Amino acid sequence: MSNTVWDYWTANVEKHPDREAVVHWVAGEPPFRWTWKKLFLAASSFSIRLAEMGIRKGDVCALIIRHNKFFYPLYMAVSSLGALPAVLAYPNPRLHPDKFRQGLEGMARRSGLDWMLTEKELDEMIRPLLTQSGSTIRGVLFPLEWEEDTSRQSMPPTRKVTDSSSPCLLQHSSGTTGLQKAVVLSNRAVIEHIHRYGACIQAAPDDRIVSWLPLYHDMGLIAAFYLPLVLGIPLVQIDPFEWILAPVILLDALSKENGSLAWLPNFAYNLMADRIREDDLEDVRLDTLRMVINCSEPVRAESHERFHRRFAPYGFRRESLAACYAMAETTFAVTQTPPGVEARKVNISLQGIGKGIAESAIGAETVRRCVSSGKPIPGCEIRILGETGEDLPDGSIGEIAIRSVSLFDGYRNNEEKTAEVLKDGWYTSGDIGFRQEGELFVVGRKKDMIIVAGKNIYPEDIEDVLSQVEGVLPGRVIAFGLEDEEAGTEQICVVAETPLTGETERKRLRLAIVETCMGIDVTVSRPYLAPPRWLIKSSAGKPARSANRERAINELNYQ
Amino acid sequence: MVSEKLKGVILRELDLEDFDMVDSTTASMVPGWDSLKHVRIIMAIEEAYDLRFRTLEVIRLKSVGELQALIDKKTA
Repeated sequence: MSNTVWDYWTANVEKHPDREAVVHWVAGEPPFRWTWKKLFLAASSFSIRLAEMGIRKGDVCALIIRHNKFFYPLYMAVSSLGALPAVLAYPNPRLHPDKFRQGLEGMARRSGLDWMLTEKELDEMIRPLLTQSGSTIRGVLFPLEWEEDTSRQSMPPTRKVTDSSSPCLLQHSSGTTGLQKAVVLSNRAVIEHIHRYGACIQAAPDDRIVSWLPLYHDMGLIAAFYLPLVLGIPLVQIDPFEWILAPVILLDALSKENGSLAWLPNFAYNLMADRIREDDLEDVRLDTLRMVINCSEPVRAESHERFHRRFAPYGFRRESLAACYAMAETTFAVTQTPPGVEARKVNISLQGIGKGIAESAIGAETVRRCVSSGKPIPGCEIRILGETGEDLPDGSIGEIAIRSVSLFDGYRNNEEKTAEVLKDGWYTSGDIGFRQEGELFVVGRKKDMIIVAGKNIYPEDIEDVLSQVEGVLPGRVIAFGLEDEEAGTEQICVVAETPLTGETERKRLRLAIVETCMGIDVTVSRPYLAPPRWLIKSSAGKPARSANRERAINELNYQ
Repeated sequence: MVSEKLKGVILRELDLEDFDMVDSTTASMVPGWDSLKHVRIIMAIEEAYDLRFRTLEVIRLKSVGELQALIDKKTA
């Protein structure tokens, strides 16, 4: 009987040892093709070594590794021991080492990280964490340096966990530094979710999933790692860093590998439609692509239109434009549009949105084009809540609450945050939307979180670091997101109060603001310097973010 | 050596008034030069110099000096 993800992996290797499991793509090299058998042998070798190093059932193992073909068997080896794998982002060169360490410390406090499985290059950066007082980290290992010991491979490696309620993985909500929240998902939650969600998109072993999505993100980890490996669908994995530098790589891989399913955040539609040249598309055919699922950012109608216009001549079909509403707290998907039908678009009156009603726009009114995220998947229910938590009818705009068989049990070691969002089995998402004919339309967020290119950024993180910049009045700075239609995502704007008046020193300060934010891997597009007492205060005496955002848009030519 | 023309294109795309760039300067050192901007910068350079980069050339670039050398080679 299959109780755990591990059982499914074992069944796949027994049934189809020579079938492709993961195709690892690196630009300019022939792809490396893991068959199920090869993958398991490698996992077995890692598993024995990890056990010898002291990794035990229940240990939390952070994996901080760049695109590498040995990532997959290593991840499986951690699972085989009943330990909890947690994929973390490899630090961008822009990220300041102290900020990276602070982020890890925050995670370690929340998640109780036991082991770091990473690359030798990070040794110097990570090592100080081990000797720190109160550190939970027991060891830093560099598994990519280990030589594969084929004499000690068995098939399959020993299974340590048999109970479906046992924890399967740990993933973190995005965020720049200390605000990540850890979500532990059980084997049952993951398996149930994959079966229900897989059925919604009619996922089958003759599909081929192609993805560049980072695996520290729920969309990458669940949709483009667990789902294919549990259902036995070949997965083609591209390097996220290579894709962002040369987005045509995804189309190249879809074309050459006959890809049928892909998940993308909204900005990727614009990036590929606008930044791929005609002559790069010479050998591209997208006829096999049956669903491209827009997820992780608000879905924009214009992005779908652009993408379709650009790639229809290469075989991309309009009905392949799909959308999904998902989050780590519900394992992944909450709603999904059906296969073979383009995600529905509706024109809603902006005046109506202001009044909390999603009414059809008529005539020359200002219009918001909303794209459906589909109906709830089986096992998921949604409610739209009003200001006092009352249920709102279809067509009314309110906060989206979710109940799901794959709902998390709470943030790990964080009862306070859990209590804020989880009440009577319902998760309040902080997202704002409405229902129409059973479909969910997401229109905004209650929280101030900014989403840039699929990455969640908390304004508090930006405001905290900028308060320490010389020339900025401490605590007198706000950050907010502003729609960037061309890029199909948000851009980050900052307003900081300063007493400085000289043009040279103000120029220097603007540059310092941009540079400081780079240190936390955040790009600020528009730093604006305001005179003292420009920012509107809330009753608590702090700058009120939304009121100041409106003021900045109106007065500072932010469009 | 990084030419004034190349520097000008990069600064324009990043909306920067000035920033010192030498051969060893990498994108991560330049304010605002993130991976999303990188694609725009590459396209702006292609337009300014009327040349085309191949996918692999773009991926393998490590510094502004390497970018300059590639431009020089293509325009020679």
